[in-house]
Amino acid sequence: MSVSSNRPKSSTNSISVLGLLRDYGAILGMIAVLGIFWYLKPAFLSAANVENVFRQSGIVMIMALGLTIVMKMRGVDLSIAQTADAAGLIAAMLIIAKYPIWMAFAIPLLFGLVVGIVNAVLMAYVGIPAIIGTLGMMFIIRSGELMATNGAEPQILFTLPRSLTRDFLWLGQKDLGPVAALIVLALVVFLVVFVIMRFTPFARYAKAVGSNVRAAFLAGIDIRMIFGLGFVIAGVLAALAGVALVSRTGIAMPRGAEPFLLDAFAAAYLGTLASRQGEMSIPGTLMGALFIGFLSNGLTLLGLGAPYRYALNGGFILLAMAIGALKRKN
Amino acid sequence: MTSTIDVARHQEAATTSVLECRGIGKEFPGVVALSDVSLEIRAGEIHAFLGQNGAGKSTLVKVLTGVYQATRGEILVGGKSVQLRDPRDAEANGIAIVHQDQPLVAQLDVTRNVFLGQEITLAGGVLDLSTMRKQTADALRQVGATFDADTLVSELSVAQREQAAIAAAIVRKPRILILDEPTASLSDSEAELLFGIVRALRDNGVTIIYISHYLDEVLDLVDRVTVLRDGKLVATLPVAETSRAGIVQMMVGRDIEQLYPKEQVTIGEPLLQVRGLTQGHMLRGVDLDVRRGEIFGIAGLMGAGRSELALSLIGALPRSGGSVTVAGKPSDPRTPRSAKKQGFALIPEDRRHEGLVTDMTVRENLTLPELSRFSRAGIVRGGQERAAANSLVERLRIQPPHLNQATRNLSGGNQQKIVIGRWLLGDAEVFLFDEPTTGVDVGSKVEIYRQMVELARRGAAVIFISSDFEEIAGMSDRVAVMHKGRINKLFEPGEATAETLLYWASGSADDTEAEHGASHEAVADEASSQMPAAGVAASPAQAATPPSLWARWGTIGGMVVVLALIAILAPQFLSFNNIFDVLKQGSVLAFIALGLTVVLIAGGFDMSAGAVSQFATNLAAGTMIAGAGSAAALGLGALTGLIAGAVNSALVLIFGMPAFVATLGVMFVAMGATLLYNGGQALTLSDQPGFFFIGQGYVGPVPFVLILLLGTTAILHFVLKRTRLGLRMYAVGQNLLAAELRGIGRARYATASFMLGGLVLGLAGVILASYSYGASALATGIDFLISALAAAFLGSTLNKAGELNVVGTLIAALFLASLSNGLILIGISSQALPGIQGLVLILSIALGVIHKRGIGQVLIF
Repeated sequence: MSVSSNRPKSSTNSISVLGLLRDYGAILGMIAVLGIFWYLKPAFLSAANVENVFRQSGIVMIMALGLTIVMKMRGVDLSIAQTADAAGLIAAMLIIAKYPIWMAFAIPLLFGLVVGIVNAVLMAYVGIPAIIGTLGMMFIIRSGELMATNGAEPQILFTLPRSLTRDFLWLGQKDLGPVAALIVLALVVFLVVFVIMRFTPFARYAKAVGSNVRAAFLAGIDIRMIFGLGFVIAGVLAALAGVALVSRTGIAMPRGAEPFLLDAFAAAYLGTLASRQGEMSIPGTLMGALFIGFLSNGLTLLGLGAPYRYALNGGFILLAMAIGALKRKN
Repeated sequence: MTSTIDVARHQEAATTSVLECRGIGKEFPGVVALSDVSLEIRAGEIHAFLGQNGAGKSTLVKVLTGVYQATRGEILVGGKSVQLRDPRDAEANGIAIVHQDQPLVAQLDVTRNVFLGQEITLAGGVLDLSTMRKQTADALRQVGATFDADTLVSELSVAQREQAAIAAAIVRKPRILILDEPTASLSDSEAELLFGIVRALRDNGVTIIYISHYLDEVLDLVDRVTVLRDGKLVATLPVAETSRAGIVQMMVGRDIEQLYPKEQVTIGEPLLQVRGLTQGHMLRGVDLDVRRGEIFGIAGLMGAGRSELALSLIGALPRSGGSVTVAGKPSDPRTPRSAKKQGFALIPEDRRHEGLVTDMTVRENLTLPELSRFSRAGIVRGGQERAAANSLVERLRIQPPHLNQATRNLSGGNQQKIVIGRWLLGDAEVFLFDEPTTGVDVGSKVEIYRQMVELARRGAAVIFISSDFEEIAGMSDRVAVMHKGRINKLFEPGEATAETLLYWASGSADDTEAEHGASHEAVADEASSQMPAAGVAASPAQAATPPSLWARWGTIGGMVVVLALIAILAPQFLSFNNIFDVLKQGSVLAFIALGLTVVLIAGGFDMSAGAVSQFATNLAAGTMIAGAGSAAALGLGALTGLIAGAVNSALVLIFGMPAFVATLGVMFVAMGATLLYNGGQALTLSDQPGFFFIGQGYVGPVPFVLILLLGTTAILHFVLKRTRLGLRMYAVGQNLLAAELRGIGRARYATASFMLGGLVLGLAGVILASYSYGASALATGIDFLISALAAAFLGSTLNKAGELNVVGTLIAALFLASLSNGLILIGISSQALPGIQGLVLILSIALGVIHKRGIGQVLIF
């Protein structure tokens, strides 16, 4: 990572080595970090571990993609991790209460949709600043969860009879053909979001809202609807990530998904390193999520736990933003 | 108005020049804004600068007030050559300015606004409020104000704000006072009042430079005029030796003749019909009929209501009255989106901020409004879109003809062509061109004119708004002249010339004056009764209404009701022990909320508040375990907070990161550091009576921590409300532009805000360690954050101006603590608490948003 920050501020020749460093230095830095892990723990890049990381990153990515869409419009959604948490909890409770499996997928997604719509109304139509509104929403959902679980009792699926949980846990634990179903899901979500954010009018309108909301308004764009849609997408994706997480782990710990908020933010901000202008992008977020996944996995392999993950992720957010600021100055 | 004494004094003063410009030149890259301007302002005169838009008046004023530095030439004040490097230099030389629509800090009172940047202080930066209030009252009396020095600026009408701004200039005791378009947003009677003030100031020996578009008022008011044209001085004349027609002649007339590609097009049936359109006090009843094939010019100076006309036609501004039909069908769009469907297209006045999306490419900008035409099944057809954009690039001769380049770095002319081109793909029939040629090169101008003709030929109605009267006269069929929100003259084709247009635009003709005055009151009444939300009254008598009783006392009333309900349901809530217990519990969180409030006032946002406090808690607990004593714990906590504040402000100010991101990163770093430090274990303290006294001790029946809290709040309140530092922190946080115009920079006060807030947050962490006998194992920084945010914003609704303030935060934090205690007593699960805090947070912000009160910089992400 440090490579790119060493480059001088004025490089006249854009095809020079320095120019390459500016554009790709951050990515080289990430690869270097991963290389160090590999050197210290060769098991880091074993097929089994890599697949494990992909599954974990997939969940982070699904959540971070929604966040990326909102943040590209200069909003923010702090409620995504809590939405994911609650969605997973709802899925687990439905299965424990012996509801059909399809409901364990559909109801949490519906919940995510409702949270997204409420957020959209508050931020886009009432006009509450997104930081405040989504933070408030996060705590309202948390209260709901705590009350529903009688003070954060975990909802355990893996001790239930296999027949009851098999179909639900398939998503997170089994393979679809040669690849883990969860990785397939993540890929499909990535492609769908990629297509939405590249080839649809929504993407164009969102870009206009994010860079000049007044001009977008005067050009006849329904800016409130577009801004609000971002929150709706973020809510649904967060719920999907929450269901996938519970399906992978077989247990729904109330508040267990909260640390994913940090991961999602770090993924989205690290993604800005992939862009020349330091903008957030869908492929950038994928890259960021993969890096975050490998990073936390590597730290775990080295026996370094949550504290390092927090500190490093926070540090990487700041580093990515600082590099972005330097890029824009150029 | 000119008495014999005045004349005598003038003759006496005529010999002394207070301000002299010698050969002033100012160049911007590629533009000569001023060249070789030499003039002399005499002591005790009212001197007008006149000229069309772009003549160089505002550049000259900016040179005189130190905003710009002249490229060449010399400025002499009182005969001595001076260097004016910034507005403070100008002030030091006795030059003060009242800007057009001078920004003021709405949440502060008049006294503080008046003295902002030049506060009178006692020892230690403490504001000398009584002296300042007295001088403000004097100045307000001089300007004939009917409000007193303690009024909040947010409660003043537009005219009263103007008076406050002039009062602010007066207390600086200027020798030269510059008034920039002071009547632009005033009604006629308010303007009369202002002229009286200006004359009185002159009679008190202040020299006045007066800039206005309205020639009538200038001729009545001033002693001498200086006319500028195209950056050059045309003449300086005593007003007695000139006439309105003569001045108009000097103002217009170009060095290079412009050719206009106007063609005769068959005029069709009427397409757009406007009847009695009103908008606040900016449009006062406009009637228009525009026909197919017609280029209809609207000539008007800045502030005449031209842009408001365009914006209210397309639903971007709410109308107060009147009716519009397009092709016979009534049209009342609520948004530009529905206006687009009815056939309207607007090319906005401010190309860079309202027209172009500069981050998007040429292609993306060109197809923005009509993108749905190129999409099928929700997917944009790239080929079709490119083809359409390509044809537009060719048709408009956009240079360079590349579809995928960013529009940010294109020339003004090409940018404007893109904004025009985007409406050519759709079915728009009524085109509103608002100042389409400002800042556009000659070649692009001709291209823009050609497009207007082309549109007219296709049967569209083209409305051409401009303050360049030559182009209006050259390009339009009929021309309407707007003045102060009305159309005061309609020229048939071929009648209008640049001179006649400027003549009508710069003042109402005498015969319409009577009607003006008579209908003014009715319109003002109508405007204020139909637009209560705008908060802009039309005359000083109708000052903006102070907030309703409900808005003012609603929060307090709500709190009392809630606490009363709890007391009824759980009588033990009001027991002596319980009350003190609640106050003790609430105090710790209140400390964090206080720190956060201080940061929010000028620093923007702080996500890291809770995490920093918690880190300090752990450090304090660790220090105590190591046996270093309470003083060390407190010192370390304070240091931690200060460092975190310094880091936050450095990230925000040096790297230009949004405060949210910077503090988010710091929050996670602090959480990681906390967990590293405590190794995931609770740091439990025992047998430290001295240290525990801070959080758990009692003085008599009163918890010590409560005393500490009240003391801290009192100190912070004093610092924020009674010192220069606090005043400037508020000013920077609430209206940065107003602060900067008074020479107050953001960096210093945002840093102060982060550091002072950080200090309180660090100390709050130590108190938490004492209160909870150590530090818990979890990193729950974000939990503290929400309680603190809820307290800060709920507290802001207690304040008359809706501003963040420590006393409000204190009350709100203690209320939230009582609420959680009460809910548990009633038997509602404590698990509902986070949700209730979240609801309180959302509701108190919604309250502020609905009442349109400022909530500082937090809105900006």
